Amino acid sequence: MNRIARTCAMLASLVAAPFAATAQDWTPPGPITLMIGFAAGGGADTQARLVASGVEDKTGWTILPQQVTGNSGLNLAKELSTAPADGTVIGMVVSETLAYNAVIAGDPALQAENFTPLATTAAFQMGLIAVADGRFSTWDKVKAEAEAGTPIRFGVATERQADMAYHFGLETGIPFNIVSVAGGAEIMNGVRAGDLDIGWVAGAQAKAVTAGELVNIATAIPTPLAESPDAPSIVDLGSEFYLDGYFMFIAPKDIPEEARVALAQAIADVASDPNTQAGALIQRSFGGAAVLTGAELDAYIAKGVQDSSQLLEAIK
Amino acid sequence: MDYVLLGIQSVFSNTAMFSVFGVGIPSCLVTLFLGLLTGIAVGATPGLAGPTAMAVSLPILISVFGVRPDALLPVFGFLIGVMKGATVGGAVPAILFNVPGTPDAIMTTLDGHPMAKRGMPRRALRIAHFSSVTGDTASDIVLFVCAPFLAIMVERFLDLPEKTALIILSLTFISSVMGSSVGKGLIAVALGVLAATVATGQTFHPRLTLGIDGLQNGFPMVSAVLGALILGEIFVTLNDIWRGERQASTVQSSHGDVADGLQKGDLRRIMPHIARSSVIGTLIGALPGVGSTLAATLGYTVGRGIHKRRKRPEDPDFGEGAPEGIAATEAANSAVSGANLIPVLSLGIPGNAAAVFLILAADSIGGFNPGPAVFNFTRPQINPELVVAFGIFTLMALGNLLNWTIGGAFMRAMSVMSRIPIRLLLPIVLMVTLTAIYIQDTRMAALWITFGFGILGFFFRRLDIPVLPFVIAFILAGTLENTARQAFSATGGDPFFLFRSATSVIFLLMAVAIIVFLGRRKGHGAAATHPN
Repeated sequence: MNRIARTCAMLASLVAAPFAATAQDWTPPGPITLMIGFAAGGGADTQARLVASGVEDKTGWTILPQQVTGNSGLNLAKELSTAPADGTVIGMVVSETLAYNAVIAGDPALQAENFTPLATTAAFQMGLIAVADGRFSTWDKVKAEAEAGTPIRFGVATERQADMAYHFGLETGIPFNIVSVAGGAEIMNGVRAGDLDIGWVAGAQAKAVTAGELVNIATAIPTPLAESPDAPSIVDLGSEFYLDGYFMFIAPKDIPEEARVALAQAIADVASDPNTQAGALIQRSFGGAAVLTGAELDAYIAKGVQDSSQLLEAIK
Repeated sequence: MDYVLLGIQSVFSNTAMFSVFGVGIPSCLVTLFLGLLTGIAVGATPGLAGPTAMAVSLPILISVFGVRPDALLPVFGFLIGVMKGATVGGAVPAILFNVPGTPDAIMTTLDGHPMAKRGMPRRALRIAHFSSVTGDTASDIVLFVCAPFLAIMVERFLDLPEKTALIILSLTFISSVMGSSVGKGLIAVALGVLAATVATGQTFHPRLTLGIDGLQNGFPMVSAVLGALILGEIFVTLNDIWRGERQASTVQSSHGDVADGLQKGDLRRIMPHIARSSVIGTLIGALPGVGSTLAATLGYTVGRGIHKRRKRPEDPDFGEGAPEGIAATEAANSAVSGANLIPVLSLGIPGNAAAVFLILAADSIGGFNPGPAVFNFTRPQINPELVVAFGIFTLMALGNLLNWTIGGAFMRAMSVMSRIPIRLLLPIVLMVTLTAIYIQDTRMAALWITFGFGILGFFFRRLDIPVLPFVIAFILAGTLENTARQAFSATGGDPFFLFRSATSVIFLLMAVAIIVFLGRRKGHGAAATHPN
């Protein structure tokens, strides 16, 4: 009976899949390993773990979170690329891992086409920050200081941010001194301590901006920043590209379509429901969920890969 | 001021572990208490010291409390408890059996044991306890006051190039003062920096991994530190036992008819010695890398000189069971522990093994990065790291309170610990350490790396190269590289960024001066003791 039922279910799913696969069609064949590409205890790690427990509550699946950090998410990509493609191993990274970082690393095994993007949860609230009452608190002041010959120290946290800062400098005619540090929090500390003048921060600056301590002198994403809706965008100021990105879940290449749909839907539901702990965190830190799935997400990643190649070309 | 209150509040509002009479007991108070008892017991066990207990308990604590930011205070609570307990406990076997429980209690045997032999072990223990806790408390107060100001000064006056020079100066100082020769210290630091460069750096292709997959994240800090410090020590001890070199002499104390316990006037007699040794201990503790053994020796030596001139003829000399001798030693070695956290919290530079494990804990859990950025008094946004820092201060103050009240009684009950034979103890420590590492990093590669560093630690000890500079360099290498790289790019790629400001040039000159000066003096000292 059981076997017949299972066969029926399988047949049903095979028939249904091409049209509209839904969450009910698929249950994982075992516990799901969730690789987290961020340092334990940080904001992104917390988000990943809360989404995992939200999905567990919602679906009854078992999810085992595990840290696979290092190399800007590429260590995770490497490990995920050889994991079983049955929906039992997924990972959380940022979109630039599959786009910019994969392109620059050049390893064919790590390129975006070797992975299945599942769902994004939140978009970077990327701003160019400075101390609110300092010498660099508006773009005009930055330009004036640069014209006066002051070296401007620009804090960045990833390779892509560094290259974007360089590109931004080329387009605006300001030769920034680009300083790589460990993360957004460290950029904020550097700006506060006077070790840095300006820098990219992807959302952690929200509270300090609201409190009037720091200021977003420009936005690096296509949509206005929640705390600083009037900040000019870097594209208005001369850049050819935005520095946007998402937190996202990915799976190995060629996982069954129904698994992709079920996983993506479960993650998306948890992330966009502010009543879950994950949803509340995303609401607090990023002003709400930003969910892309399926073809829309594939297209975003493809655009990201294309932009990355163009950026690399532009700064050659 | 708000932050001080928040810190205190964070300790008491920590997740309740269990409740007594309907009042929730915050878990960090429980761990502090347990840590203190563990520390006293471990300190009282010859062959085990505070760092060993901290090393073994850290991974267990992390698996109990997890790696969420609210795990920080309970874990720190336990570690601080161990640190405080061990300084007190070390005196127990030193007094009762003439065997120092921890290395810094060596000088305690000189007067503590004779006093016990004259039938006054309780009096000796009470004096040791009182002096130790007083010294510790005094030094903690200095820490509470100095660390925030030092950190703020660093952030305000030092730019990236000066910070780079400061780290170079600290590493030089540590390599020069630890161990028998400056050269060996420098070798240890160089190897530590080399080990830390594996698979770190900024490119997408991890460096120096020789293509080995297990190394693509570099050497895990837990494996490297525990391997070099703990496994290395275990290997050396096993080797000694195997060669039959380690025989502890236990002299039983003879109980006479002399009145035991604290005597009238004891406190008045030892107070000046405690005060002087506390100052010595605190000053030495604030310098990274000098350590409590030197503080104890110095406190004792200075105390002896003064005692000789001032004592009444009927009082015992130092070395014959003088209460002043115990006080001078114990206050000095305990005063190191609080002051040692000044460079840790304000600069992120660990000065001794205990501090290494506090940094290791912070690194494993995340959410707290010891360094000047901790003391950003941001407003109105709350800086969670600063709250943790004041939480740590609160825990230290509470630890002292516990030490004052119950520490003495527990300490006197601990004499039994020194009867545990070391050959039973070592395998247990070895197994718990390896299990603990595997809990945190579930790869066999982590264990192999630990063994590798253990063997390295063994050869270091056999060649008389100090291990701690190696470990501290391993921890600081990342900060050094990043700060230097950032300073380089912030100055627009100026290759001489270290020589552009007076402050950093002064720091560098001081580093050179330390090597030259100490190198010469240590050379002379060695020549004097070994005429060949």
